[in-house]
Amino acid sequence: MSTSSSPRLVIFQCGFNHYGEADVKSVEAPETARVKLVQVPCAGRISPFFILNAIQSGVEGIIVSGCASGKCHFKKGNLEAGRQLDAFREFLIYLGLEPQRLRLVWIDPAERGRLLQETEDMIAVLRTLGPARRLVTRAPAAA
Amino acid sequence: MIGDLNGVMRKEAARILKEGLVDVVIGFQTGSMPLRAQPAFIRSAEKVDRLISGGFCHMNLAKYLTRRPRSERLGLICRGCESRAAGVLVGEQQHVRENLYLIGIPCEGIIDRRRIESVAGVDVLSAEETGDEVLVRTRDKVYRFKRSEVVHGACSRCRFPDPVGVDVIIGEASRERGAGPVEEEAEEFDLLTADERYTEFSNRADRCIRCYACRQACPMCYCGQCFVDYTTPRWSESMVSPAGTQAWHIMRAFHQTGRCIGCGACERACPMDIKMMYLTAKLNRYVEKSYGFVPGNEENEPPPFAAFSTDEANRLDR
Repeated sequence: MSTSSSPRLVIFQCGFNHYGEADVKSVEAPETARVKLVQVPCAGRISPFFILNAIQSGVEGIIVSGCASGKCHFKKGNLEAGRQLDAFREFLIYLGLEPQRLRLVWIDPAERGRLLQETEDMIAVLRTLGPARRLVTRAPAAA
Repeated sequence: MIGDLNGVMRKEAARILKEGLVDVVIGFQTGSMPLRAQPAFIRSAEKVDRLISGGFCHMNLAKYLTRRPRSERLGLICRGCESRAAGVLVGEQQHVRENLYLIGIPCEGIIDRRRIESVAGVDVLSAEETGDEVLVRTRDKVYRFKRSEVVHGACSRCRFPDPVGVDVIIGEASRERGAGPVEEEAEEFDLLTADERYTEFSNRADRCIRCYACRQACPMCYCGQCFVDYTTPRWSESMVSPAGTQAWHIMRAFHQTGRCIGCGACERACPMDIKMMYLTAKLNRYVEKSYGFVPGNEENEPPPFAAFSTDEANRLDR
């Protein structure tokens, strides 16, 4: 498969939850997809700007992965992220973004393998969706 | 009727100034151009005759709450939208309620200058409101507009025209409640397909020249430094390019989530005449559906993004 058809994926990953697993996946992935892993101290750190900038730069998909409710290292960070990013996702869909391109997953630290499965699932979905067109307005960042 | 109203309003303003309840009364005075009133800052009871009200008062005066020191005691003449904006700003600790004296006045809707200028041209010599009509004189013609035809979109569909949470109300509520720009505009836009929505959005955003007049007019935009003015870090694309204007439109609206009170000051301030209320309308509708929150109507309610709690019924597990 040529690199142009392999989807680009950004994972915003909470450092307290399955970071190691996500790290492994991003290293394993380049054969089939280009995965960029961004470690954040907590899902609450993720600003809607990060997501918007990634989308404008032309990534095909974004996964925001935080802790399930009640499991946040900082007690409430995931709830804050949940409220904001839910609204932001809804807003981007309203402006024409495909709903499949932005996925918010909230994982219990005990759910081993969930992130790998979500990532693989996402890559499969992105492959059927094709390259991103809407809201892509920036010069693409280096792969 | 407007004459009586102005009289009572001036009397009340003079009274609170004389009794020392406030340091300054903020209202509107006749502007230097027709169709456009301008803000007035009245500091002595002798000068209250400058105060006017009516459809040419096109700004939202609650903007000044965030521009004045909190220790200053302000008298604010407010219509429905201004009273709700003041409520939100007090809830966000931008001013102290004890130092505010809000004079509520009824509102017949703000006249959209552009609708008049599209018919009569930009060289309007004078304009006046007479009951249900707006009388506009140009050099060679006199135009009569029906008020309902030239009222601004945000006002003709205003959900809450009556002042809320004010210290005194002058006159009576006289206008019917509309469905609200919140419902209508967002729902019309939502009916389009995703492709059409994106095309429409990018067409509107592309006309933006990033003058930030919408930000300056908005009572809710009061950040000490706006995200677009940062260079380190540069939060978003800062050029007047599709990336920059789209980012500005998206993030400006998103910062208003659950805070926009739908006064339409942004649209009236826009020199490019871009319609942008469909953005905040959508977000407000989302917040209302998800959390039952309508900005400005509940006093001291924390904004929805700050109101999460740890016992929130596992919203994340979906």
